[in-house]
Amino acid sequence: MAFDGATQKTDTPNGGGPDGKVAVTTELLSTWLGFADVQRRTLDVVQGELTRTSTTVENATLDLSDRFRQLAEKALEQSERVEQIVQLAGSVSIDGERVPMDQLVVGMQDMITDMVSNIVTLSRHAMSMVYLLDDVQKDVGDLEKAIGDIDAINRQTNFLALNATIEASRAGEAGRTFAVVAQEVRHLSRSTGELADRMRNKVTAVVKGVRNGHDILRQIANTDMSPQMLAKERVDKTMDSLVEQTSHFQSVLETAAGVSSDMSSTIAHVITGMQFQDLTKQRIEAINDSLAIMGAGLAELETRIRAQIPPGIGAQEPQEWLNHLLDRFTLSEMRERFVRRLLLEGTALDENGVLDVDAGAGDSSGGDIELF
Amino acid sequence: MDYGVEQRDQEAVVRLRGRLTFNDHAKLRALIGEMAQNKAKRQVLDLSSLEFVDSAGIGMLLIAREEMVNAGKSLVLRTAAGQVKRVLTVAQIGKIVTIED
Repeated sequence: MAFDGATQKTDTPNGGGPDGKVAVTTELLSTWLGFADVQRRTLDVVQGELTRTSTTVENATLDLSDRFRQLAEKALEQSERVEQIVQLAGSVSIDGERVPMDQLVVGMQDMITDMVSNIVTLSRHAMSMVYLLDDVQKDVGDLEKAIGDIDAINRQTNFLALNATIEASRAGEAGRTFAVVAQEVRHLSRSTGELADRMRNKVTAVVKGVRNGHDILRQIANTDMSPQMLAKERVDKTMDSLVEQTSHFQSVLETAAGVSSDMSSTIAHVITGMQFQDLTKQRIEAINDSLAIMGAGLAELETRIRAQIPPGIGAQEPQEWLNHLLDRFTLSEMRERFVRRLLLEGTALDENGVLDVDAGAGDSSGGDIELF
Repeated sequence: MDYGVEQRDQEAVVRLRGRLTFNDHAKLRALIGEMAQNKAKRQVLDLSSLEFVDSAGIGMLLIAREEMVNAGKSLVLRTAAGQVKRVLTVAQIGKIVTIED
């Protein structure tokens, strides 16, 4: 049996014979052939698994990148929306014009202050009027009394005129002129009486009017407006609370807008970070290429050796090594693919009892199939 | 409402008690007359025992102030508390009448 290269060096520690040939045991050759067979197939399987892994990572990465991109867009949209809210939160729309909240509050507080001030002024004027009408009522009472006095005087005058008329008629011709004067005085007294009556009527009407006015005014002045004045306290507190709350909302929303913007930027970084997949793919391709070259080299060597050895020497399966290798495949799906490859294209697994298992592993899932 | 007057060196202190409302307007008018006539230049209304004042009461206090000015005197509202103090504050009476705590 002839060997060259590395194998020759290791198998012939003494440098070999003069014709370049060394003696090798049949068992060693069989073992080597068994190893070479299993190794070549294992290399195939490993290449297949690497390609499969690379594809899985690529698909998952593309999917993730796409989802992250959508997430980044949504985060950006959210940030813009929140910023719009922030701009609107600090003001309200009045007659189509945006009025800042603090300006609005100051305006309303001023309005209420004016209202309270008007109530105070009104109360003060109402009380002045009440006091004035109190006085007027008293004066009108005096007036009624004065008219009564006129009546008394008039009765007296009338009585005197009547007496004068009687005395004049007793005096006869000498009293005729005096009787005329007495008659005139009686007329005058009647006119005065009529005037006093008219005055009384008018004064009575005035008294009635003043009393009604006084009553109405008392009702007005007696309407307590202090609760309305104190409502200003409540309104002021409400307004202050409103301004504070709005400012708090604004601050929270500003933070939220910032967070959304940060999220968008972080996601962009994540997408960039996912470019590791491209590099991984290239590396796996390079490894696969190396493995292919190794596999081809191994196959060629195997063919050359088979051509030089007697047909009787078969390949001896490296049982222990194979068991050791299979122990590494804990993922059942991957283990199944490995077994199939060795089973369908080689004899290595016949002795490992996988034929029975393969019969039951028709589908590609194989998740719950227990091999070995 | 009722009241008590205390004459001091420089000022006359009138302590109002109870509730000052429209119904007291005649009584307050008499008091204003009294205050205008006594000799102290400084007339103090002590409001510490006044529990309540209505809007008419506020109007009467302003009339009192006006009458004091007409009589060449000054009016001071002192130690208001509770509802009275709140109403005086909200109505900004301090802008017109001197208020002391």
